Amino acid sequence: MVEQVNSFAIKTKNVSVHYGNKMAIDDVTINFTKNDVTSLIGPSGCGKSTFLRCLNRMNDVIESCKVQGEFLLNGVTDIYGDSIQVETLREKIGMVFQKPNPFPKSIFENVAYGPKIHGLASTQSELNDIVMESLNRAGLYEEVKDRMDDIATGLSGGQQQRLCIARAIAIRPEIILMDEPCSALDPIATARIEELINELKEKYTIIIVTHSMSQASRISQRTAFFHLGKLIEHGDTSKIFTKPDKEQTNDYITGRFG
Amino acid sequence: MNSLNKRLSAEKRFRAYGLFAVALSMFFVLILMWKIFSTGSGAFVRTTIEANVFFNPDFIQVNQNSLEKELYRASYVALADEVVRQNHPKLNEEQFIKVREMYTRKFDYQLRDYLLDNPDKIGQSIIMKITASSDLDQIVKGNYPRDVPEAQRKINDYQLSVLDKLTSEGKVSSVFNFWFFTKGDSRDPESAGIWGAVMGSLYALIICFSFAFPIGLLASVYLEEFVKPGKVTDIIEVNINNLAAVPSIVFGLLGLGMLIGVIGLPYQVPLVGGLVLGFMTLPTIIIASRASLRSVPPSIREGALAVGATKMQTVFHHVIPLSLPGTLTGTIIGMAQALGETAPLLMIGMVAFVMEIPGGPLDPATGLPSQIYLWSESAERGFLEKTSAGIMLLLLFLIIMNTAAVVIRRRLEVKW
Repeated sequence: MVEQVNSFAIKTKNVSVHYGNKMAIDDVTINFTKNDVTSLIGPSGCGKSTFLRCLNRMNDVIESCKVQGEFLLNGVTDIYGDSIQVETLREKIGMVFQKPNPFPKSIFENVAYGPKIHGLASTQSELNDIVMESLNRAGLYEEVKDRMDDIATGLSGGQQQRLCIARAIAIRPEIILMDEPCSALDPIATARIEELINELKEKYTIIIVTHSMSQASRISQRTAFFHLGKLIEHGDTSKIFTKPDKEQTNDYITGRFG
Repeated sequence: MNSLNKRLSAEKRFRAYGLFAVALSMFFVLILMWKIFSTGSGAFVRTTIEANVFFNPDFIQVNQNSLEKELYRASYVALADEVVRQNHPKLNEEQFIKVREMYTRKFDYQLRDYLLDNPDKIGQSIIMKITASSDLDQIVKGNYPRDVPEAQRKINDYQLSVLDKLTSEGKVSSVFNFWFFTKGDSRDPESAGIWGAVMGSLYALIICFSFAFPIGLLASVYLEEFVKPGKVTDIIEVNINNLAAVPSIVFGLLGLGMLIGVIGLPYQVPLVGGLVLGFMTLPTIIIASRASLRSVPPSIREGALAVGATKMQTVFHHVIPLSLPGTLTGTIIGMAQALGETAPLLMIGMVAFVMEIPGGPLDPATGLPSQIYLWSESAERGFLEKTSAGIMLLLLFLIIMNTAAVVIRRRLEVKW
């Protein structure tokens, strides 16, 4: 596989994360290829969510969290460097959380909030277009087009999560981070989101943390297996799930631990 | 089996104790309410005596064309005496004094106010309901006994006979006491009103709110959202909690020493009262506001931050609006508490005899609770019912404010 520098959305090198004295991530080096879905799998507490949250600096708000190592966006921009502000970074790297967290405002307001604060729309009709397009891409538009002014928290769990995806893509990010986006949803809503992820990878690089190995194998092209803060193995999903190099990976995916 | 019976009967006993406790407290509340209502309801009616009033232009020396200023200055005191003489003919001087005492001392004001409203009545004769004096009022309401020796009565036998004659002529009647709701304090119970105190309290509460709410909100937002938790915030937190428990009279002393003594603000004005009540309410607001900020789920903050909002945008667009119902509820409850506080008002002088209704926060005024306190100190029986009526009004305001707090909470609270 030939990999060029600019074919990586994010490159990381020797990443370590500490919570106070406790080590959460231990010397992880991993690169994420553009327009791929990469799954981060591993048992609970292995650090995969922590690692994901380092990528758009969501860990900044946690007082005791210390991040070391190199993070490069598109091979050039230092994510933790001075050349980029954290707000601009998050404009480029969107995030969807484990529990759907729409703002308790109208459906329209939820999607329009990001474009508004970043000044992406100069007129109301431009804003309407962005909202409509984002909802469309999140596969939610048809379901909510008649009740854009209804409060978003009145939607079902699956709809809320798709709304959060629409909110994330409304600011036109390059990368979307997803932290177990389906863990609070029922199987049908989960299937809907997985379908959506499949469509979204055409335009975005997606990095997704998941507990479900079947989900990882269904939706991702690349898979990284974390254990006790270390990256054990990283490669094509088909390889990881059929003949992994490491014994630990094999044990985990066959259900012998975790 | 035996032990089960024991446990069941223990439960029965416990329920009985609980029921007894609830019943006892209800009983005391009922006694309180009954006492206040039975005493205070009298303040809402006043006794009047019908009298023939002739606005003799020669006597009061004004005519139809007089200016309002002249109308205002006309000699109503003499007219009042003249009205008494005309309605009770053939009185000797001693009898006249006694009969004049049966009418309110504010007789002249009543005549003046009527004529100012109806200047076309000059030169005409009309029938007016003149307010009776408080002592007569109390006799009519049955609060003063009639069957005690004359020396122990404020109304003597002659006055009683006049009263009975007036009653038999159908000239004595009770009307709704508007004065209680529209007038300021007075030396005479029959013309004393609560409105001055209500306005004083209102101005004080407006000052209190506009001082304490923004400061409390900003302080709590800063402490909860922006500052790094550490030793300093711990010390501040402990101090805020302590301040909430400081007796209100201490805040009154602070107002007296700082605002009046050092800064030189005037004595007995709602501005100072409101600021002092604001000091007192501030910790309550901060504590309530911090609690409601803390109850906003972190996922909302994450959601806003993740779309690239700054910390400030996150707080002002999402966290504060969501915490506002809780903050407002806490504020209103704090203000309700402030409304009932008497001690700080005593310290800064808002407990004086003020007849005028304050027109702004810099006019001398009393507050509702200090007015109640003033009346309760007065010797006249007429002020007793004013005291209770004042308490009723205070309770009404408290109920309204607390209901508003509950309604705001119910209406605006976001369900997750």
